[in-house]
Amino acid sequence: MKLDETIALLRQGKHVSEETVFELCLRAQELLMNEANVTHVDTPVTICGDIHGQLHDLLTLFDKSGGVENNKYIFLGDFVDRGFYSLESFLLLLTYKLRYPDRVTMIRGNHETRQITKVYGFYDEIVRKYGNSNVWRYCCEVFDYLSLGAIINGRVFCVHGGLSPDVTTINQIRAIDRKQEVPHEGAMCDLLWSDPDEVSTWSLSPRGAGFLFGKNEVDQFLHTNDFELIARAHQLVMEGYKEMFDGGLVTVWSAPNYCYRCGNVAAVLRIEDTLDRNYMIFEAVPAQDDVGNAIIPSKKPQMDYFL
Amino acid sequence: MVKMTQDGVRETDSKRVKVYILEDNEWKDTGTGFCVGKVGEIDVLTPVVGVRDEEPGSLAAYLVVNDEGSPDKTLLWSKLEGNIEYQRQEETLIVWKDLSGQDIALSFEESTGCDALCDFIIQIQQTTETNISLIAVRSNDDGMGSVHEIITGPVNLPSNEMEQDEKSLMDALKIFNENMAFEYLRTGTIDFVLKSAYLLTLIHIFENAESKHRLRELLLLSNIVKTLTLYNHRDVLEQMVDDEHIVGIVGILEYDTEFPLSKANHRDYLLQAGPHFKEVVPLKSEEIKTIMKKTYRLQFLKDVVLVRFLDDHTFSMISDVILDSQNCIIDFIQTEPFLQRVMSLFEIDTEMEKKRDGVRMLHQCVQITKNLEHAEKSRFFKALVRAGLFKIFDFAFSMETDSGIRILATDMVISIIEHDILLINTVQNEHLHQTGLMDQGQRQSDGTLTLAQSSASSDISLLSILSQILIADKNMGLKEQVVQALNTLLHPEGCMGIDSDYNEPGNMDIIMGSDDQPSNGSGENPVMNNLSLQMKEYFNNFYTQVAPILFGPLMKSGQNNSDEDILLIYLVKLVSFVAAEHSRLVSREFILEHNILANISKLIASPHILQLQLTAVRCLKGIVSLNDDIYHKHMISNNLYQPIFDLLRRNLHNDNMANSCLLDFFKTIASQSLRAKELCSGESMNFILLNKHLVENFREDLMAVSCVPFAQEMIRINDTEEEPHNWEISRNKKTTKDVVKRTFSEVSESLGSSTEVKEEEVTSTFKKAMEKLAAAPAPKSIGKDFLGNGT
Repeated sequence: MKLDETIALLRQGKHVSEETVFELCLRAQELLMNEANVTHVDTPVTICGDIHGQLHDLLTLFDKSGGVENNKYIFLGDFVDRGFYSLESFLLLLTYKLRYPDRVTMIRGNHETRQITKVYGFYDEIVRKYGNSNVWRYCCEVFDYLSLGAIINGRVFCVHGGLSPDVTTINQIRAIDRKQEVPHEGAMCDLLWSDPDEVSTWSLSPRGAGFLFGKNEVDQFLHTNDFELIARAHQLVMEGYKEMFDGGLVTVWSAPNYCYRCGNVAAVLRIEDTLDRNYMIFEAVPAQDDVGNAIIPSKKPQMDYFL
Repeated sequence: MVKMTQDGVRETDSKRVKVYILEDNEWKDTGTGFCVGKVGEIDVLTPVVGVRDEEPGSLAAYLVVNDEGSPDKTLLWSKLEGNIEYQRQEETLIVWKDLSGQDIALSFEESTGCDALCDFIIQIQQTTETNISLIAVRSNDDGMGSVHEIITGPVNLPSNEMEQDEKSLMDALKIFNENMAFEYLRTGTIDFVLKSAYLLTLIHIFENAESKHRLRELLLLSNIVKTLTLYNHRDVLEQMVDDEHIVGIVGILEYDTEFPLSKANHRDYLLQAGPHFKEVVPLKSEEIKTIMKKTYRLQFLKDVVLVRFLDDHTFSMISDVILDSQNCIIDFIQTEPFLQRVMSLFEIDTEMEKKRDGVRMLHQCVQITKNLEHAEKSRFFKALVRAGLFKIFDFAFSMETDSGIRILATDMVISIIEHDILLINTVQNEHLHQTGLMDQGQRQSDGTLTLAQSSASSDISLLSILSQILIADKNMGLKEQVVQALNTLLHPEGCMGIDSDYNEPGNMDIIMGSDDQPSNGSGENPVMNNLSLQMKEYFNNFYTQVAPILFGPLMKSGQNNSDEDILLIYLVKLVSFVAAEHSRLVSREFILEHNILANISKLIASPHILQLQLTAVRCLKGIVSLNDDIYHKHMISNNLYQPIFDLLRRNLHNDNMANSCLLDFFKTIASQSLRAKELCSGESMNFILLNKHLVENFREDLMAVSCVPFAQEMIRINDTEEEPHNWEISRNKKTTKDVVKRTFSEVSESLGSSTEVKEEEVTSTFKKAMEKLAAAPAPKSIGKDFLGNGT
């Protein structure tokens, strides 16, 4: 398979054949299996939050932050759902990873599951684009292989949602067989679903999965593991990012004008060799096709109809 | 006294009221009397403030209060005129400022009195004084602030002129936005839009503006149409998509303020580039054609044209309209001879492409039933099967070579069996009963019979065909789907039937209940017994006829080449599934007789892809968790765990998925063994023995696992094991039920202080994890053991 050709197709939001997707997914599995549940990454690296199928904003993200050819990226999950280009966004990251294996780290988000994608758009998008759901199945299989977290220089812990009462040390995450649909409770679920909040201890989450955790939990986790920062995504931040708990935790959000109407800006966080944090803010810009014509993001209309 | 005026406004009865006026910022009580709303000739003697433009002698409306003590004394004589805004505050107050600037309040004795006068004001507003208004003001539930609601008043409406400029369009947009805030104004606005062909006006202005490239007007028009959709009114929406309006409306919506420099091409798409409405067999009803077009256009509006704009309310309103139309369509298809005509495409010598379109069309029917209610779905699916759905499967799985079409056919099978696994067979069955064709010989078909000929609930020809596709077909997408279909068809719970058309609720329990519980009276239900028998037969047929083919690749030892790895992943997962879900007796006999576990164990090695190796590990782990004596003995005596430790050695120092998968395996064994020790019960003896086996044979390997405590735990548990005879004694003393759950540390203590693992090494979270696992119910033997009844 010619990765560069596929990358070009995906960047233009063009159709990629079912067979190509299958092969791509299989090769991605092989790559992802060699990664730990919590993988180690070196600086400098750019941390990116939720993408949610906003392909054109993802392209902007790469443009403005230097591009995958020269930089390392960690994506904190939620590649799919909501936006109209879930498949292209997810596959683009996957092909980039195959093409530049050491430059892209992908962490699983709470949307990377069969159950959630059936409701929030990815499944429908696939049926619309392919007339059947096979490609959705291939992608869901890859979701099961995605890492649950990452650690930068041993000092920054990256995760989609947040902390779990079942996880005090990183080795406890190691003993999870992550190849499964995200369970409804337990460490794996919490890592993908929890949120920070002004609470004094573990509290019930209004989301119905994961927990709310506060400064105490964050301080303790940072201390125990000798970390200085938890970088997570999972919540819309109008300003693109938000630090909490005296800078011990940051939420990074990378889908500008979320759902094409929230009016928020997006951010990515670059962690330098000195562990300095550099935030880069970017806005949604009008999408363009390969020859510079503006295009309006929309769903692909239904195919032939008989009814 | 004249009760009726020429406008038909009736004078009100008199209502007791107190009259207040505002003086120096204080409400002053001017007396109590009776209030009427009356219409009469303009009284030239009444002092009139402001401009008087009425002719003397013309009619006007008044609120009049006469003193209750001296009826001749008039406390209030106030004309309803100009743009006076009357406020009804709470239940009994009407407050307004008249044209002279005087604030007046009427406080009614009863709310019904207030109602009567408010009705009078509404009538006057709607007949003669259209510029006055009545607003209801209520305090919020929390007592803070108040809610205003327009009861009646003038509705500001946009111009309906055919020629309009930027300014009038701007005004129109402003008006639509303002009117949206109040129900009363919304209704008035919608009335106007529907009754005065306003959409056509907009389309006319649009065509004009587009031909003259007036971008600002085009963008305004687009915003007006979008705002109208937010009124969330079904009739307006349906008007937008009818033949007269659709092209103009989507044309207007091609312009978007968010993308002022570009334009969408919705009209092109609808008129040329896009899909055209196809008729596989001619539709005789124009009405249904219209509904089909409408449905498609609404979907286009929802998914493409307005997709970035719709709020949740409008989105669900459009979805509701679509759903209603789909219901109509599905109804139509069933009641007309339409379906039969579609099916006949597959009987006669129709050209291939026509048949393919037939499959595509039926697939679309099945797709749209996704949103229908359960009973509606059942009805439609039954109609499909009765009309001869199996002819389509025969076509797709035998004559057809195009994978795309076969995938659609499989997708239909999945939709139907996931809805109700019994439906297909039961309808076939009912048909055969009617025609007296119930033939035992046919049921024993070896697969050479076509599906359409086969019969009975215990029929396994669908299973057999799907299995052959999985084994032989090269198309990955098809395999993927077939596996899903097999999983559904082989699910015993599904097979017990959920569709209440066939079974009473609770039948599941009756069937699940075994023959050794005759007291529940289940044996008296002949229908259920019959069903139960059929299920037994169905699964027996599966294991004798289909399983040997399906699991064939796992029954050969060591001959698998790595080309088959993807297929083997599917099969190994299926083994895990049937071992866990089917009658233990039947599935285990099959699995052990064909040496399947040993062959799965051999897959944990190169050259098989790592995905398959780990799937095999997980399968063995799943079997271990079943806590089944016979499986445990089989796996230990055949040394099936050896490859797992070979895999461990290859990945010991890699932090990767293989390593995590194995750690998870050790975690399971450690916690289950610990639990067994805690309970001192025979129930989990299997884990103690397994732990012993593993520690004795692979101690070095386990010692080497240092990053998590589980492997060391296994060794410690084994090394501190009590003598077997003690086990027997303690087992007699304690039963599972009276053991109180204890924490890990307590258990550790009770296991003896000779432990070499220091307490500190076991982190608190590990303790918690152990507690959790210990608290969880043991993997119980399958309760749904209905195939093994009476054993």
